[in-house]
Order: sequence, then structure tokens, then C-alpha cells
Amino acid sequence: MNFNFKHEWIETNIGLMAVLTMLAISVGGLVEIAPLFFIDKTIEKVEGVRPYTPLEQRGRDIYQREGCYLCHSQMIRPFRDEKLRYGHYSLAAESQYDHPFQWGSKRTGPDLARVGGKYSNEWQVQHLVAPRSMVPESVMPNYPWLLSTQLDISDTADRMKALRKVGVPYSLTQEEYKANVVKFGETVAPLLHIPDAQKNLLEQANFGNYDGDRSGVSEMDALVAYLQVLGTMVDFSKYDDDAFVNDR
Amino acid sequence: MEWLMWFSKPENTKPVALIIFFVTFVSILLYVYGSKNRSKRLETYRNIPFLDEQQDEKSLGDQKDTKDKQ
Amino acid sequence: MAVTTYSGAEQYNFDIVKKFAVMSLVWAVIGMFVGVYIASELAWPFLNFDSPYFSFGRFRPVHTTSVIFGFGGSALFATSYYVVQRTCQTRLISDGMASFTFWGWMAIIVLADISYVLGYTQSREYAEMEWPIDILIEVVWVTYLILFVGTIMRRKQPHIYVANWFYLAFILATALLHTFNNLAMPVDLFSMKSYSLFAGTQDAMTQWWYGHNAVGFFLTAAFLGMMYYFVPKQAGRPIYSYRLSIVHFWALGFMYMWVGAHHLHWTALPDWTSSLAAAFSILLLMPSWGGMINGIMTLSGAWDKLRTDPIMRFMIVALSFYGMSTFEGPMMSLKEVNALSHYTDWTVGHVHSGALGWVAMISFGSLYHMIPKLWDTKMYSQKLIEWHFWLATIGIVLYIVAMWISGITQGLMWRSFDEFGNLQYSFAESVAAMMPFYAMRAIGGMFFFTGAVLMLFNSLMTIRQSKLENAVLEAKLAAKLARA
Repeated sequence: MNFNFKHEWIETNIGLMAVLTMLAISVGGLVEIAPLFFIDKTIEKVEGVRPYTPLEQRGRDIYQREGCYLCHSQMIRPFRDEKLRYGHYSLAAESQYDHPFQWGSKRTGPDLARVGGKYSNEWQVQHLVAPRSMVPESVMPNYPWLLSTQLDISDTADRMKALRKVGVPYSLTQEEYKANVVKFGETVAPLLHIPDAQKNLLEQANFGNYDGDRSGVSEMDALVAYLQVLGTMVDFSKYDDDAFVNDR
Repeated sequence: MEWLMWFSKPENTKPVALIIFFVTFVSILLYVYGSKNRSKRLETYRNIPFLDEQQDEKSLGDQKDTKDKQ
Repeated sequence: MAVTTYSGAEQYNFDIVKKFAVMSLVWAVIGMFVGVYIASELAWPFLNFDSPYFSFGRFRPVHTTSVIFGFGGSALFATSYYVVQRTCQTRLISDGMASFTFWGWMAIIVLADISYVLGYTQSREYAEMEWPIDILIEVVWVTYLILFVGTIMRRKQPHIYVANWFYLAFILATALLHTFNNLAMPVDLFSMKSYSLFAGTQDAMTQWWYGHNAVGFFLTAAFLGMMYYFVPKQAGRPIYSYRLSIVHFWALGFMYMWVGAHHLHWTALPDWTSSLAAAFSILLLMPSWGGMINGIMTLSGAWDKLRTDPIMRFMIVALSFYGMSTFEGPMMSLKEVNALSHYTDWTVGHVHSGALGWVAMISFGSLYHMIPKLWDTKMYSQKLIEWHFWLATIGIVLYIVAMWISGITQGLMWRSFDEFGNLQYSFAESVAAMMPFYAMRAIGGMFFFTGAVLMLFNSLMTIRQSKLENAVLEAKLAAKLARA
């Protein structure tokens, strides 16, 4: 310290103190967060992951609205017990279109990252309306209003447009649509086309008949459609057991 | 932004974090505890929270004076 | 609240401090009540009453927001305005701006709580407020920064006291964190719904960078600022070591920002990030304990105060819990421990040993010190302070012990195998095993909540008493004048 530094300089100068404090607190975030956006390896290359269909996305909105993330995680860790209980550990790629992420931080209930297809639609509906009728030990609240409330589909396209702005490849123009055909295939691309959003939503709800009632689209339809797609996009039988280990 | 990639390798970041932290930490320690005079000077600032009481008493006295005059 | 007895009344803006101090206690009572309620919902699920508005998922953010930002935030506004004025020996630069921060902050908490109940949430823990509320927070916060820094610039004392450094770091860090974690695209200008700018892994990292530093700066650095002023004042002796506080400040500020990723161990976040976070979490033990030692040692040579002064006891217990949870935290950030503890109630217990043990106790202590000074009287009842202290302490212990047992039990049940290599317990069995501990936790919470109610009552009675005293004083004065 031969330039005769004095801590008093900082202690008597609020501007200097503010700048130095800002420097001290910025380093950590910059070094840990910024590279995540540039490193290719952060998200694995894997086939099958696609943006949610309009109905699934609306279901996801309801999942968020009801605060499901507070008791259910969507992030399976690479442990033997979790593999047995929940399935293959979660990949970064599987939540690449999740704005926001729903990894969660607490398992008051079980992890839901791969709940899709594990139970029938009927089970899901009954369990959401009255959890203890299916699982006596459960402490989950009842969600009867999901069945009785019709889904508000008026702003479906607007929601998809907002998601498109933050980077989800929903298509608005013919070029984007064609790009989606190349990227996601002929069957998926039409579902991601914003001008057809409402039509696609109604078709999926009617065809899937998630809540067992075809007369309208309830919030239950949307939520169950979302739950049933969770973790089903990647076909892990196509990959070796340790195919993703090096990406970690 | 290419340089940020360098941080993504633990073999780089671990020693660097350690060195940066250690050097800064040791120099702060040396500065703070290194010299007796400096220590003495720094410790005088402990009393700042008590300066306001002297002031209070002074102004409280003022107030009493004014009250009496009323 | 136009009581103008104390000498500081003209010299300082105490009106704003009084408002925030009272509201801090009001939010403590509201927030803790909701906390007890949602804890009870987990033990006795019928309490959800099939109502969308009171179901656990929508009600939990009401609890966290009311206690962190309502109670904690108001306590920080109150004490920071008090400390900055007294240590700089100058008045806040603008009464209008101060008033704006008060009404703005109250509006934020009320709007946030209502919006959660109605189902509007960003689903980012501790940052659930939707975008319009986020913008209001930004405006209030910038006003706060200008007011705080402006007041320091007008100081009569050449040195900026260490408590103010911590408050400054808290204001700056909160601004930084809030801004970046809430970047989102609204569905349209008249929609409360928005989608996060980031997705998946990057979004998770940004959220937990925010999430942990909300703890690090909002709930730690700022309350350390409180500690650096109120512990010496209550003890009547200066802080143990000013030099230690310099080391403490810079090390804490620098290191906290690195550790958020320890919330994402074993997830799809790249390994290098969470390893780096774990390393810094361990290092963080040093400045944390430096701060704790600095606080506790301030009392060295006056330990007898602990027997006679319940306010001092609040502060020392707070520091002890601070030391305990800053040891527990680094331990839980070790990957091996985290593999067991993560996703379980252990995390919840850890948070509460910090939030109840440290944050709430140091706030109670500081407010008990400040309230009589603000209203220029004595606390209405010393006995109620004693009662509050014991209720709070017993409540915390019940809470933490319940969560330790249930957390470790959960972790162990989830990973245990039978002799054939199959999972030994179904998930539902682990839920059933939690029931007694959830009940115990709710009871612990009730103890703590009752203590807070006593404090609110005690404080309101103190204010009433001050007004009565004043009326008597003024009557005497008037009589004296009439005779003269």
C-alpha cells in the first residue's frame, strides 16, 4: 500500500462508496449468470422438445396461478431413488421453452417433471377435485373450481405473441411456419401457429376430452392437458443411459 | 463476450476465485490490522452513534431554556 | 401523530419513522397470522375450505410478502431513516419523498397481497408481484435511494457510520436484483399476466441469484445495519471493533452474490455454476461470523445486562440465531448434504431460523429501543416485553426442531431401499409421517405470532400513554402561563 490508501476516503465519500459497493456486488452475478447465455453446452441437443400447444400453455398458466410450484418440483435429480420414483433425470433442454421455469424448491407433494401419462385423465380430474379421495394421506387442497370454471380463451393468441417476443418459436408468418415445419415436423408445426391458436385449442380440448365433459373447455381441460404432456417430449429409449452425463 | 466462456471451466474459475478472494482479503486484513496508528484512528469512529446524544442534550437544554422563557 | 415533544422533532423527520414503525408491527401481525394459517393448512387440509382465495398455493405468497416486505421492509425503512438522520445529524432531505416511500410501499404490499389471492403471480418465489406492481416498486425504491444518499450527502458528521454502509449496500443490491429478476413481457398493456424474459436454466439461475440475495441483502445486510446501530446504543457501549466491521462489510457484500446457485444443486444447471456457489457459500461463513462476533462482543464487560434488559436479550438471541443459521446455511450448500436436505422441510426450517431468529428478533429489539425514544416516553409494559421474548424464543425452537425432524425424515424416507433394491416408502407414506411435525410447527408459529400481537398492543399503549403524558404536560404549561 505505498500509494497511501485510506479507507477514510471511502467512508467520507458516499459516491465512491456507492460505486465500490456496486462493483463488489456485481461480480458474482456477472460471472455466474452471463456465461449461461453463451455456452452451447448449457442446454443439451436433444430431439422432441417443442413449445407447448395453446391448450397446454393455458394449462401451464393455471398451474402458475394456483401456485402449484410451491409444493411440487419439476426437476428430477440424478439419483437412484429419484430415477425409480420419478424417471430419468431432467434435462435443461426440457425446460428451454418454460417462461418462467417451474423447477420449484420444495416437495410437499411429489415431483411432477414426468407426471405426464402416469395417470389417466379421469384420475387426474378426480384427484384435483378431491385429492384425499384418491390418496388418503394427501394434504393437497381441493380444486373444485377448475371443473366449474370455463377457460377464458379470448387472449390465447396474445399470450402466444408475448411468448414469441421472449423467444418461444411460435409462428406468426408463413416463413416462421415453414421454419417450424423443418424444426418440429409437419404434425407439430401447425399447433404452434398463432393465427390458428383458438381453433387449435378448441380442437385439442374436444379431442382430448380431458375433463370428461365435451360441452365446453374448462380450466380443468387445460391443466390436465398440461400435466399429461409433462416430461413426455423426449423419448429416452433412443439414448444411452449416460448420453447426457457430459453435459452436466 | 467470448472471454466469459473462460469462467465456465471449473479448472479456471476455482483457482482464480481463490486467488482473487485471498489476495483481496489479505490486503484488506493487512490494511485494517497492519498498523497501530491506523488501528487507533479507525477505532475512534466507533463512537459516531453516541454523538447524537450530546446533541440531543444540548438541544433539549435549549428547549428547556425557551420553555422557561415562555 | 402530531406529537412534538422530543427534541428531535424539529431537527429530524421522526414522523416518517413513526409511521413505518407502527406499520411494521401491523404487517408482522398480519403476515404471521397468514403464516400460522397456511402452516395449519398443511397439517389440517380442510382449512383450505375449497376456496380458490385461501388455498395454500395462493395464500403462501401473501405470507412471504407480508412478512418480508411488509414487516421486514417497513422495519428497515423506519430504522434506516432513523439511523441515517441520527448518525449524520441532519434531517431527511425531503419530507415529501419520505411520505411517498411510505404510501408507495404500503400500496405495494396491499396490491401484491390482493393480486396473489386473485391468482396473479409471476411464480417466482419472493418476487411473485406481477409487472405493474414491479414498476411501482422500482419507482419507490429509486426515491428511497435518492432520499437516503441525499441525506448522507447533507450530513454534518464527516464520517459515514458503518450502519449506513450496510443500508446503502442493501438499497443498491435490492435495486439491481429486483430489476433483473423481473424482466418480463406483459401479454398486453391492460393484462396483469406476463411471461419471464428468460427460460428454463437461465431463468432458474436468475431467480435464485435474486432469491438468495433477497436473503443476503434484504434480510441480512440491512438488518446488520440495524445491528450496528441499535446493539451499541442499547448496550450503551460502542461496537466491539470498527476494523472488523470494515472487513465484514466488504467481504459480505462481495461474497453473497455468488452463492445463489446452491439452491440449484444437482439440477439441470451446469455443474460449474453450482460448485462455484458452494465454494463461496463455505467462505461466506467467515464474514457472517465476523459480524456476529462483532455484535455479541459489543456486550463484553456488560453481560449482566442480559439478565436485566429484555431488549438486549432480543438482540443477543438474534445474533446467536444469526450465527447458527449462517453455519447451517454453508453446511446445507455442500452437495452431499444438499442431496438430502433439498426439497424437504429442512430448508423451510433453515429459512425460519434466519427469518424468525435473526430478522424478526433483531427488529423487535431495535423497535423496542426506538419506539420509546420516538414518542419520548417509556414502554407501556416491561412485563409484556418479557412475555414477548419468551413466547418468541419458545416458538422459534418448536418451529425449527419440528422442521429439522420432518426434513431429515422426508429426505431419508425418499432415498431408502428395501432388501430387493426397491423404494421402501411411497411418497404418500412420507406425507403421512409429516403430520405431527406440521402440527408442531403450526403451534410454534402460534407462539411467535402471539408474541407479535403482544408487541403491537404494548406499542399502541405506549403511544397512547405518550399522548396522555403530553396532554398533562401541556395542561400544566397552560396553567402556568395563565397564572403568569
